[in-house]
Amino acid sequence: MNKNNKKSVGFILLDIFYITMAILPLGVGILLKLISTPPSDGGVTISGARVFWHIDISSSNFLDIFITEAQINSVLVIITILFVCLFLTHGLKQKIWLKRQHLAEIIIEKVDSMVADNMGEPFKAFPPFIIAIMALSAFSSLITLLGLFPPTSDINIVGGWAILVFIIITYYKMKCGLGYYIGGFMKPVFILAPINAIGEFATPVSMAFRHYGNVMSGAVISVLVSYFLGQFSTLLFGDGAISVFQVGLPAILSLYFDIFSGCLQAFIFAMLTMLNISTAFDADEYERRKKKKLEKKPKR
Amino acid sequence: MALAIGIILGCCALGAGIAMIAGIGPGIGEGNAVASACEAIGRQPESKGAVTTTMIMGCAIAETTGLYALVVAILLIFVAPNTFIPLLAKYVPVA
Amino acid sequence: MFDEVLNIISVNLWSIIASLLNLLIIFLIIFFVLYKPVKKMLKERQKTIEDSYERASEAEAEANASKEAYEKKLEDAKDEADDIIKSAVVTAKAREKEIIDSAKEESEQIVNQAKENAQLEMKKAQATIKGEIVDVSTKLTKKLLEREINEKDHADLIDSFIDEIGEE
Repeated sequence: MNKNNKKSVGFILLDIFYITMAILPLGVGILLKLISTPPSDGGVTISGARVFWHIDISSSNFLDIFITEAQINSVLVIITILFVCLFLTHGLKQKIWLKRQHLAEIIIEKVDSMVADNMGEPFKAFPPFIIAIMALSAFSSLITLLGLFPPTSDINIVGGWAILVFIIITYYKMKCGLGYYIGGFMKPVFILAPINAIGEFATPVSMAFRHYGNVMSGAVISVLVSYFLGQFSTLLFGDGAISVFQVGLPAILSLYFDIFSGCLQAFIFAMLTMLNISTAFDADEYERRKKKKLEKKPKR
Repeated sequence: MALAIGIILGCCALGAGIAMIAGIGPGIGEGNAVASACEAIGRQPESKGAVTTTMIMGCAIAETTGLYALVVAILLIFVAPNTFIPLLAKYVPVA
Repeated sequence: MFDEVLNIISVNLWSIIASLLNLLIIFLIIFFVLYKPVKKMLKERQKTIEDSYERASEAEAEANASKEAYEKKLEDAKDEADDIIKSAVVTAKAREKEIIDSAKEESEQIVNQAKENAQLEMKKAQATIKGEIVDVSTKLTKKLLEREINEKDHADLIDSFIDEIGEE
């Protein structure tokens, strides 16, 4: 058995390649950030993502094409996740001989059991999607630890995810037929249809704003606190002094806002996705319709 | 003109402050949630893990309204003046 | 160079579509790179474990069968041994009886022969004693009478006398 446990040279080289490729995008992101950030004028500026490229198509900002920091960063995060996944599944064997395989198995088994608990039988295919949401959200939030702009604090990014979830929800609601779906809006009384429709659209909006608000408020508070601490040290030691107070406290805040809140929001986004999708699907009605269809077929 | 800009800024700040009154709600709600969770853990210490997870979940969801208020307040402070002052300059003739 | 900065909240259609596609891409990545291989491996492992269980149970059944066979053989051997012992006991008893019988017969024979011998001896002795007595009495009477008594008459007389005695 010991003979098999030795890593070959090619294996180690591939490992190193994967790790470098996982770290490289983050380095590129930091480099981009360093290049693109203009010298600060000392004031507190709270703004969204920096625009790298702006193509004017129409007069409104809604339809123009922006290549922003947030999009670049999310692409970098995707590359990182791809290589982390490749690294985790590299050298997969039935008999565990690498520690990383435990991690891969734990992730998949935990998410599998979570999906089985919260969603049930008809949603067997969902674990990869849930892992994808969790990984993307968590990595996007944790990227702030490197000083990069977190894509999750851009409403467009989170909004896109929420809209995808909304599409899946609607798909599952329509699985029982279009008439049943529209009938669902007029549930208690048909007058309530507009309110129900608003409620329908409130789901993705609230999901997007929850995630966006959490990450963004963390960033805003961090900026405000660090600005305030800088001002405080200027007040005490005069202009140009090293801001002593900026050393400790922002790290603690970052511990909460970046790490804890980022992971928690990723978890909550995934959880809400699961719950919303599973409540959208009326399994009994679907079974009933399926049975009806099967009964009809032989008669023809 | 300066007065008008001042009024806009002041109202934005005031609005942001008023919006953050909504912070009371999640505060009370989360306090209740944590109190109940503590009680539950005291009654059944073996179910600590499940209770804690559910509580954090619930807290995060209850926090949402507060976050909406925060978003509105941030919009009012950082975005609204930038949009309203150009509008003012556009539509109000300089006296 | 990059002076333009978005508002802290600004909605843009293409960004939304791009992030939506990003999520789809990452879903595909996770599915094909992480989820599928691990699931496949887990399935294979499950299969291997089930196979080994099956093999183990088969081996156990085999072992049980051979154990039963051995036990049966052992019991047979015991029975056989019992049989052997029993037959041995029977033959031994038979032989014992035979020996005893033959011994008895022999002893009886010996006793009979001894009796016969004794009677023969007795008869012999009787005859010799008779002759001696005749002799002695003849001598006695010769001396006593010492007269002309016919020797022949004497002998007849004594013989008849002794015969009378022997008949008594």
